[in-house]
Amino acid sequence: MTTVLRIVLILMSLLVLVVMLRKIRQSKAKIEDAMFWVFFALLLVVFSVFPQAADWLSGLVGTMSTANFIFLLMIFLLLVKNFSMSMRISQLETKVKDLVQRIAIDDNEREKESGS
Amino acid sequence: MSEVLVIIPAYNEEENIERVVGNLASHYPELDYVVVNDGSADSTAAICRKNGYNLLDLPVNLGLAGGFQAGLKYAWRNHYPYAVQFDGDGQHRPEYIGAMKKKMEEGYDIVIGSRFVTEKKPRSMRMFGSNLIALAIRLTTGVKIKDPTSGMRMFSRKMIEEFALGLNYGPEPDTISYLIRQGAKVAEVQVAMDERIAGESYLKPVNAAKYMSKMLFSILLIQNFRKRDRRYKKKGGGGEE
Repeated sequence: MTTVLRIVLILMSLLVLVVMLRKIRQSKAKIEDAMFWVFFALLLVVFSVFPQAADWLSGLVGTMSTANFIFLLMIFLLLVKNFSMSMRISQLETKVKDLVQRIAIDDNEREKESGS
Repeated sequence: MSEVLVIIPAYNEEENIERVVGNLASHYPELDYVVVNDGSADSTAAICRKNGYNLLDLPVNLGLAGGFQAGLKYAWRNHYPYAVQFDGDGQHRPEYIGAMKKKMEEGYDIVIGSRFVTEKKPRSMRMFGSNLIALAIRLTTGVKIKDPTSGMRMFSRKMIEEFALGLNYGPEPDTISYLIRQGAKVAEVQVAMDERIAGESYLKPVNAAKYMSKMLFSILLIQNFRKRDRRYKKKGGGGEE
């Protein structure tokens, strides 16, 4: 890994950390959701500070260069995150739908009761 | 209206709920209670209706934090000075609620029904986890909590407000640690707990490991950066004066 790439990764990770911790300070993010991003940022910091670790893993996986390994890892982690978010959105949409229908049916019943 | 509201979160507890609430209602009629059915897929809600229990029936599943918060919102709206978290699976015994309330009246914000004030902690995987969390709380707050994972906790009116209206106030050790840092006074009262009689515990080994890592991460790293809402700070006690 070049020094420039390492510096960029560290700066980016610090930015992610600061933004996420700010969101928690302002009570705008749940701790569960912040955990992924803090973990992600810390991982990149570790690889930038100890590039030997990334070199070793890169050799193990067989990627041409360590930078490629870092990209691959980021793509993989983001894909997993995207998948889990997609699942959560499905569940959320189902819950919202159930709630809206429930409110409408409850209202209808209450109106009938008060009307009769 | 009693001074203490017993909040009983229940998720798929059809085998336990009748025994737990029945015992509470018949032997401790002086206590008000509310069952929060957290969108159970089984007949928990039907059993509560049949018996005429005071019930908050959530139409979808929110998880323990959301379910318990619903109970606290009920306590807040109905002006209860104290609320206690009480499991729907029969682990907690109602005879200790009185002692917890007494402790509360000495001026504490949170009283934990603790298994290990006078009793010794047994050695097991679960207790190792409990020790780790206790250590994390001690490192970050300097306060010794002997049973941080106990689910039996009593909250003052101020805490009820904060838990009911805030975000990131799950009824878990990391919130306790955060509140201690903010100046909340926490005490423990010795209680005995029963093993769950029927149904399945949520804390299977995989979930337990996940829970542990989340709690440690949250207590050691994240809670240090939280800012307290000024609304709660101003009210004194519990916030820095």
